[in-house]
Amino acid sequence: MIYLTDGTKESFLTAFLLAFSDGDALVSSSPTQLSLGQKTVFVSADAARAARAEERLLSFDKDCMNDLSLLLRSGMSGREQIAFRYFRLLALQKRPVRDMLADEDVLCASECIRKVTYEIHRLHGFVRFLESASGALYAPLSPDNDVVDLLVPHFRSRLPEFPFVLHDVKRKKAAVYDGKNTFLAPLEQAEVVLSASEQAWQTLWQRYYKSVNIPQRERLKQMKGYMPVRYWKFMPEFSSREPFLT
Amino acid sequence: MIDERRLKILTEGAKYDVSCSSSGSKRKNTGGMGNGYAAGCCHSFTPDGRCISLLKILMSNDCVYNCKYCPNRLDADVPRVSASPEEIAQLTIDFYKRNYIEGLFLSSAVEKSPDYTMERLVRTLKLLRNQYRFHGYIHLKGIPRADEALIHEAAQYADRMSYNIELPSERSLKLLAPQKSKESLLLPMRKLAEDSAVFKEEKRKGLFLPAGQTTQMIVGASPETDGQIVRLTQSLYRGLGLKRVYYSSYVPVVHDSLLPDLPVGQLREHRLYQADWLLRFYGFTAEEIAPENENLPLDLDPKCAWALRNLQLFPVEVNRAPLEMLLRVPGIGGRSAQKILQARRYTHLTFEHLQKMRVVLKRARHFITASGKFYGAKSETAVRGLLTAGETGENATQLSLFSTAETALSALTGEL
Ligand code: SF4
Repeated sequence: MIYLTDGTKESFLTAFLLAFSDGDALVSSSPTQLSLGQKTVFVSADAARAARAEERLLSFDKDCMNDLSLLLRSGMSGREQIAFRYFRLLALQKRPVRDMLADEDVLCASECIRKVTYEIHRLHGFVRFLESASGALYAPLSPDNDVVDLLVPHFRSRLPEFPFVLHDVKRKKAAVYDGKNTFLAPLEQAEVVLSASEQAWQTLWQRYYKSVNIPQRERLKQMKGYMPVRYWKFMPEFSSREPFLT
Repeated sequence: MIDERRLKILTEGAKYDVSCSSSGSKRKNTGGMGNGYAAGCCHSFTPDGRCISLLKILMSNDCVYNCKYCPNRLDADVPRVSASPEEIAQLTIDFYKRNYIEGLFLSSAVEKSPDYTMERLVRTLKLLRNQYRFHGYIHLKGIPRADEALIHEAAQYADRMSYNIELPSERSLKLLAPQKSKESLLLPMRKLAEDSAVFKEEKRKGLFLPAGQTTQMIVGASPETDGQIVRLTQSLYRGLGLKRVYYSSYVPVVHDSLLPDLPVGQLREHRLYQADWLLRFYGFTAEEIAPENENLPLDLDPKCAWALRNLQLFPVEVNRAPLEMLLRVPGIGGRSAQKILQARRYTHLTFEHLQKMRVVLKRARHFITASGKFYGAKSETAVRGLLTAGETGENATQLSLFSTAETALSALTGEL
């Protein structure tokens, strides 16, 4: 049986209860994954049931909801199924299973979580702010995983005096810090008027980037391993007037 | 705002310093901009595969010293430029605000005199910390022979300081960097280590080099062996409590009869970094890693080489071996060793388990058993053959992940 969720945590937990005793269950939030011949139920979120499931799971492992939050943010299409297998094992073992790394389901979940947290760490470095005329900072990004709001605490603690917007252009939403509070909002497109000196700083950064490289030691493969090309799009060092390799 | 021309010259003069790490400081934001990121953070990568974490720049390239290997030495015919403390501070702030960098790595040629230069460096740091209320990372390269009081003052504003040993022996230093001496480099390092200890003991307010000290030496410009370099490295860690020792393989930018004309292979630098990791994270001593008058083998990583010299200790059983021993197995790095420790609490590990856990077994299988089973080659010659196969120069250069920041490293290299 396929249990189709709406992608939310509540819907997942509701599906979890329904699917638990079905060892071959497939839990998914993406209808494109449907395979022919299998029965499908659409699971809408049921707050009471979800709360019950959550309480139960927390009694086995007090940190498990953090795992769930990260798993459901993953950009992998099989994320609900990975989470389902992991939480099923937790419910069967009735104790934390995080360290059972020889188990396939735990391994899958832990790798999925690692990808999400690794991307957060990477983005702490790769985010590029543009300075707007008002002094607020704007960063467009397109992360693999649904993590914009998880980036806020990092930037808020280092730039407390600057309002900023982290815009996930793929998911069309933005995490906003207005100088006091943070919130998440849908955002289709942003109109940003740049500050008078923004272009000049970008140009200096491009100059710096080019000058600090040692061309005799080109190791592009390694460079792209550390910083995959899909992140380059929003980085001014790659939108230089001249091609960056010259 | 600094102009592009000077930025280019001052950056090109600083880029051969290998250190770019921004780790080790937990400096808090107390109003203003910035904070420390203890794990360190890479903001970009250049086509040479190195991480950009800090704005690495010289205050000036106008030098009164005459180090033979240096493009900025007194005798060199190059354009001379300097930046003002205000220009450097503003550049740092505007780059930091846009999240281009994690902080500043400031060094300088010896302009006019050591004290004049050091005073300008300190002024820049004070401007950043006091006026701009900047709490991001600052690494300052100390100027040899500068006044002790200035050095002490700098340490109250910097997160990390470094004096570069430059060359791995006093003789080479005399020959190639005549105005520097062992004392002019080691004395301030020792003094800073002592001051830092006093600072901690007396629990004084503020911070004093929270990310400690590092150093760097040029490999291949002078005749010292890897065995000597690894011993020197160990004594710097033990005696001066340094956080990191960096190696920079010699790139000839200057022609001098005292210097080799060819660059040193990246592979040698890579092997030294591997040896350095063995010292810092794997519990090895310099004496175990390489005989004093020898270089590290190029066809094998130093852990493999050690294991082959100590085959009587292997194979070890992964279900029982203590952490220290797991870490000595070729191919098993810190992360894999931890995974094994965790997983074996729940189940008796087999080879299939290890494979599933993504423990790289290519090298390790010759040195372990899993639930009593051995999958390695039978004879020492066969093991040696299998270990060296594929470790060609080119291959190993691609493996050279070590010149980048510590964080990227721990994520990507764990396995040694
Ligand atoms: S002190 Fe030596 S290494 Fe430093 S800039 Fe001057 S000549 Fe170059």
